Amino acid sequence: MEVKFVLNRSEIVLNVRPDEYLAETLRGQGILSVRVGCDESNCGSCTVLIDGKPSMSCSVLTAQVEGKHVTTVEDIQKEANLIADFFGDEGADQCGFCLVGFALVVHALSLEYENPTDEEIKNYLVGNLCRCSGYNSQMLAVKRYLAEVKKHAKK
Amino acid sequence: MRAKNFYRASSLDDAYRKLLESPKNSIIAGGLWIKKLGQSYDTLIDLSLLGLDQIVDSGPFIKVGSMVSLRSFETSPLIKHICGGIASTAAGEIMGVNFRNLATIGGSIFGRYPFSDVITALLTLDVTLEFYPEQKMSLEEYLNYRGKVQGILTSIDIKKEEGTCFYKKVKTTALDFPLVNIAVSLRNNHHYIAVGSRPMIASLAKQAMKDADLGKDSKQVAKQAISEYLFADSISIGKDYRREIAEVYVRRGLEEVSK
Repeated sequence: MEVKFVLNRSEIVLNVRPDEYLAETLRGQGILSVRVGCDESNCGSCTVLIDGKPSMSCSVLTAQVEGKHVTTVEDIQKEANLIADFFGDEGADQCGFCLVGFALVVHALSLEYENPTDEEIKNYLVGNLCRCSGYNSQMLAVKRYLAEVKKHAKK
Repeated sequence: MRAKNFYRASSLDDAYRKLLESPKNSIIAGGLWIKKLGQSYDTLIDLSLLGLDQIVDSGPFIKVGSMVSLRSFETSPLIKHICGGIASTAAGEIMGVNFRNLATIGGSIFGRYPFSDVITALLTLDVTLEFYPEQKMSLEEYLNYRGKVQGILTSIDIKKEEGTCFYKKVKTTALDFPLVNIAVSLRNNHHYIAVGSRPMIASLAKQAMKDADLGKDSKQVAKQAISEYLFADSISIGKDYRREIAEVYVRRGLEEVSK
């Protein structure tokens, strides 16, 4: 079936199976940053933004994003680099497999909340699992990123 | 999961006709549970063009469209204002934000899943479900309804009431299904007690609710409540443990709501 949606700001029309999940479609388009970690709606590695909202691409059919805006990490390079730097600085990033999902979720968090509390940050990130590093260091990195975003917003 | 067709319904009538065409057709809602089940379908029917994703204040009720995502439901100020925001709290504890942006409130209710989650909390509120073709029933009636309702859930109407509430989802990890969940509310001078994921679907403890209204001691009420429920074993937890933690949280809930 034909599905038309906006992928990273450009409209695309694709022919997909009715039961094809978005992660598979995106990877088929060469967007290998979308990683299917668990395929169980659990780990968050496959997160993309659908109309700006973090969503697990392994669990949404491509047919369901008809007419919507899909954003992958390729479209938020600047933000993702900064987030990756802070994650690296804080030792929150070892193998990097989960980082793409984290970058998109942290970016969405920074747009949705002006001054999130620790609890709100945790609640927002709970759907993204990391198996090698500690969540404390991630928390520090996220806070540094949010502070940086805020500093630039003020200017 | 396998599906031969994906059908975007242009109206509720259109969706309903399609649904009746084959027992292997299904409404997809958010699609999360359909993925988990991994069954085969002829046609998945999508309701996303029908404007069912709105939360509207309609006087005595807040009308929640069945395609509202759990995340929109959780963050809606209208829902947060009902009885201490118990439904909002319950929705907010389901998986992560990237899951809740996809899963819908309608799917969470229509499936009558044993883990209950948001159903447990909603049972302690005054909730009416609207179906297409025209049919209305309370959430409790729906849970007790034998067989499958032949209709499409369109709206969840929650009565605007002030009150106090308590909700506890007992779980081993942040993203797990609940081992048991407990909701207690106090509105209009009446107590409501619901326990779900026992591992059966949530229900109200009617006699215990009456006892609580009469002002009986919360320890006794909690004992009574637990005696009204069947608990069973599951892989992660035994029925005795389930019963014991449920009793403790019902008691704490009763104390919390009458503070």
